[in-house]
Amino acid sequence: MLFGGTDVGSLTAQAVLLEDSKIVGYRNIRVLPNPVESAKKVMGELLEEIGVNQDEVVIFSTGYGREKLVEAGFAREHVSEISCHGRGAFWLNSAIRTIIDIGGQDAKVVRIDENGNLTNFVMNDKCAAGTGRFLEIQAKALGLTLDELGDMTFRASNPVAITARCSIYAETEVLHYMQRRFAKEDIAAGVNRSMAERIYYLARRVGVEREVTLTGGVAKNRGVKQELEKILGVKFVDLGVDPQIVGALGAAIFAMEKYGGE
Amino acid sequence: MNIGYLCTYTPKELIDAAGFTPVRIFAGDDQISLATAYIQSYACSQARGSFERALKGELDVQAVVFTRCCDTLMRLADIWERNTDMKVYNLEFPSRIDEESKDYYFRELQDFVNILKEWGGDVTVDSLRESLKLYWELEEKLKKLFEVKPDYEAAKKVQEMNVRDAIEFVDRRLRKVEKSGVGPKVLITGSVCPFLEVYKLFEEAGLLLKDDICTGTRFFTYNTPLKEIESVEDGLRFLVEKYFNKAPCPTKHFPNDDRFNYILELAKDCDGVVFLLLKFCEPHFYDYPQLKEKLEEMGKKVLLLELEFPIASYEQLRTRIEAFYEVIA
Repeated sequence: MLFGGTDVGSLTAQAVLLEDSKIVGYRNIRVLPNPVESAKKVMGELLEEIGVNQDEVVIFSTGYGREKLVEAGFAREHVSEISCHGRGAFWLNSAIRTIIDIGGQDAKVVRIDENGNLTNFVMNDKCAAGTGRFLEIQAKALGLTLDELGDMTFRASNPVAITARCSIYAETEVLHYMQRRFAKEDIAAGVNRSMAERIYYLARRVGVEREVTLTGGVAKNRGVKQELEKILGVKFVDLGVDPQIVGALGAAIFAMEKYGGE
Repeated sequence: MNIGYLCTYTPKELIDAAGFTPVRIFAGDDQISLATAYIQSYACSQARGSFERALKGELDVQAVVFTRCCDTLMRLADIWERNTDMKVYNLEFPSRIDEESKDYYFRELQDFVNILKEWGGDVTVDSLRESLKLYWELEEKLKKLFEVKPDYEAAKKVQEMNVRDAIEFVDRRLRKVEKSGVGPKVLITGSVCPFLEVYKLFEEAGLLLKDDICTGTRFFTYNTPLKEIESVEDGLRFLVEKYFNKAPCPTKHFPNDDRFNYILELAKDCDGVVFLLLKFCEPHFYDYPQLKEKLEEMGKKVLLLELEFPIASYEQLRTRIEAFYEVIA
């Protein structure tokens, strides 16, 4: 029996397949306008790649449109992405107690106990500041790819201070520094640091207990990761998988735990 | 004539006894645009959204009564008076709820009776006796309804009706209501929430509800048994007692910490507490850190949901509510 999980976010969607408690494959795509279509597409591509039929898989859905996928008969059950991130991270490393997940438009800090159960969480609710979208906007203003933006932190000598909380005003600040001919590295490093500061405020609301891991697309930004480690005073544990698939993996694990005995 | 009000500390009984219909004003479903020209965007969206409806001519009210509850509503009264054709009256409800302020509130009620007279409505001992009885009846029936199963749609609707129609409406609901199922129970606490979809999200997540919401049980929880009155003055004295002993709200100061004790008592049989707070609602947010701490000391899980009317994204709320279910279940 195979178990699958789909996780649809605001920018990307992922699917994971498990067999005998092992990840047999995963896939990550850019979302389509409709979350149900995104989940079907990403899981469909993965199933084709692995070469299994959908009826051989028990699928749990998470992320946007998760309950619609159940209604559509595509997924057996749905679980919130907060629980999925907790369960996915804990399954990969049972020492994890805090998961910081930064996606396209959501940032969340999830706390779990020694059994992997969810105990507390907090999500950004003001706006997209402190999420992947923030980095995308600033990278575009700087003419950098997201990967390049992350690496700039390691090449900067004197990071600038980005003070605006709002993504749009922050972009204005970035443009202003560029016009004043500040080094691109220093501006980019400032962007990464300001991102880390936003997440720090969020994390403080639920507290950060070790071990801590960083998941979601923004975990691939080395600059933000380092700044966040510095400001939180922790070293993130690497889960050994693509940090973007942890939510979908969690959904697949819930499916396995519930229907694995069948 | 319909007389609008926003706060549950408004003595609806007097308005009804004067022959007018008290109608509660809620924020609407439309995005707030016109009101933004009068009220800054960092004021609460209940105030802005209500005024938006007034500016758009959506409200069938000819006068509005404000009580001295929060800063925003106090100033909203001035803005309302200057920018609409409606009559506006400020009833000064004391902030400090104790023996000394009772006489003050009594005189305020006397003044209000005179204002109602100026507006063409006469409060007599008979009319007041009837209104007191009707509101008591409505409140008892709503209590009974909520004991079987909280019905936020009914609670909202009756606040926009004449009390006589409201009683009939609740009667009909009482005949149909079925007890809620089983599941973890949460206390939701906050100011107003006329957006019924929010309660539905909790129910869909499998949670049973109990509330301390101004548009929910705080609308009908008064704790003063009905008393026979001999004069209008008698009736006003009764109203002083009734409103001083109502389910407490954070805009008032109680010498014995009534507000916190009330919430902690309500939370006792709940598995978790959700603060459903309107952005920029100072009275509720000032209490939040301490109240949260006390609730956590009791072993309750706590979630803060910040709302802004009209609610733009139910899906984000759904995720938080479902995750909270997974925390407490």
